[in-house]
Amino acid sequence: MVAPAEQIQPVCRRCRSPVEQDDLRCAICGFATPATGGAQPRAIASILRCDGCGAAVSYSAEAQAPRCGFCASVMRVQQPTDPVEQADWILPFAVSPDQAQEILRVWMKTLGFFRPSDLAGTATVQSLQPIWWAGWIVDAKALLSWAADSDAGSWRSSWAPHSGQSQLEFTRLLVPASRGLSLAECHTLTPHFNVAGASRQPQGPPGAIVEQFDVQRSAARKIIVDAIQATAAHRLQQGTIPGSHFRNVHVAVLLQALTTHRVAVPTYVLAYRYRGKLFRALVHGQDVRCVFGQAPYSIVKIVLVILGALAAVALAIAIFALAAAR
Amino acid sequence: MELSCEGCGATLTVDAAVRTAVCPYCASPSVVERPAGRDRPSPTFTVGFVLPKEGARAAVKLWLASRSIFSQSGVKTATIDNIKGVYVPAYLYTAISKAEYQAEIGENYQETETYTTTDSQGRVQTHTRVVTKTEYRTLQGEHASYINDVLVTASRGIANDELELIEPFDLRALRRYSPALISGWIAEEPTMTLEECIQLARGEALGKLGAMLHDFMPGDSHHNLQYRTRLEHETADLVHVPVWVLAVRHDPKKPLIRVLVNGQSGRVLGKAPLSWIKITLTVLAILGVVAAAVLVVSWLSEAQEPPRRGAPPPPKARGR
Repeated sequence: MVAPAEQIQPVCRRCRSPVEQDDLRCAICGFATPATGGAQPRAIASILRCDGCGAAVSYSAEAQAPRCGFCASVMRVQQPTDPVEQADWILPFAVSPDQAQEILRVWMKTLGFFRPSDLAGTATVQSLQPIWWAGWIVDAKALLSWAADSDAGSWRSSWAPHSGQSQLEFTRLLVPASRGLSLAECHTLTPHFNVAGASRQPQGPPGAIVEQFDVQRSAARKIIVDAIQATAAHRLQQGTIPGSHFRNVHVAVLLQALTTHRVAVPTYVLAYRYRGKLFRALVHGQDVRCVFGQAPYSIVKIVLVILGALAAVALAIAIFALAAAR
Repeated sequence: MELSCEGCGATLTVDAAVRTAVCPYCASPSVVERPAGRDRPSPTFTVGFVLPKEGARAAVKLWLASRSIFSQSGVKTATIDNIKGVYVPAYLYTAISKAEYQAEIGENYQETETYTTTDSQGRVQTHTRVVTKTEYRTLQGEHASYINDVLVTASRGIANDELELIEPFDLRALRRYSPALISGWIAEEPTMTLEECIQLARGEALGKLGAMLHDFMPGDSHHNLQYRTRLEHETADLVHVPVWVLAVRHDPKKPLIRVLVNGQSGRVLGKAPLSWIKITLTVLAILGVVAAAVLVVSWLSEAQEPPRRGAPPPPKARGR
């Protein structure tokens, strides 16, 4: 995935993260972006004039902008924009709707003994909605300072403290921003996407809808930084922190050159009906192995198993009592 | 400093410590733009007023009404003599902190130990119990992070601890400085040197870092945390923050009470004077009640006390 030429952005002079055109400060390190305009050579007292009537203008707390006291017109000033951003990359669907239905049936058969035997045959798919849910693809470098307890080098206690610093690079990290899917659902789907295939044009079945981003830029950056922190803690436990069991994993992240792309991620949301009740399942839009969702339990099987277990216990007690009586 | 009013040409006398003026002849609000210097840089950002004057008045009225009963009489019904919206200069400080730390980390473990007790008949019994013990291990390490959004005063009129008590300001509402944002309001120039402000900011940054390091330590407990910090890539941007300054009169013979209100959130800071007469009378009343209670209890216990067992009978009077 190559960023188009028109996307050359100014970068923060301290942490090298790109800053948007209307950003006043870097969202990562707080460094102020440079303002345009020259220095003031000498002291002057100037009056701001209303464009409408020419009267002097004062800032109004009610309007939160400069307002003319005579004609009540409000001046526009440069404001920090905190827009709701839209996807600029779209991951293509690699699974067709027919495949999604078929995969759902296969999945129903693999749910185990306690599910109804006729689930795959009887369930009827009520709706199959291909959607592109909202997310971010993040690239960043980070200096991670970490401290944690692990079982490595422990004495009388099961835990020993460890600390260290590591450089980590995050490439194509997918961070969910969906409101329609739960965070747990997004995290289950996320590892199976091929983010390298992102493009500008939607490639998917007819009727597929794109979930609109519902997160403002300021909130988005916090979610991304939190996701990087959580991912960093997870990665550090896979080889960096000594030991096999961990607790109190604390990570301080010094991010550098963080870039994000808003991305639409393909998934099928299916609703199926079994014996009058509706259940929801998700089929990955690119990987047929990733299917999960709600499914009914067979009450009859569960009751029979409990009765069988009780009968077995009763039989064992009876045999034991008989043996004891002899 | 004398400048010419753009509106009517009259001479404006502008205090060196303020950035705005109102012409006494044509009432035009002017904004003074001075050449930037080290201790008086051009403002970078402004946080605009959100709370109008009436909102600030209402917040202070509410604050006065909620003062304690030990406040001087008249405080709860005090009148607001003066109210001014002031853009207070402050520095927004950011840095990269790099710390080397060392601490004793406590890791808990459990042991079963035996102990003996002696019952009422003198028999010794042995029991076991599980006790939690802690072993301490030294941990050394490094910690690097950004320190963002440290706001310190640049005004000698409002002390840094006062500013801290009316914080936070929502920095998402930060705007790039424009004279239009302060026109018609009192906007103060920095009256503290940049070095003084940086020192204040470094102190706050180190306080933040100390709290971060305490949260960063693993283990069940820790003590003796020591750290050495370098602050790198420091920046300090001059920002105007909105503060309502009110003068409240509760007694014509006594000085006015100064009350500060965050011009964005409405958080109020003030010090209502206490009435030492009320406090003394209350303490005396409490002492009186306690003394009376002690007297009543001791009188009742004496009145109900039975004759002591085994005490010698009173001597009989011998007849002559």
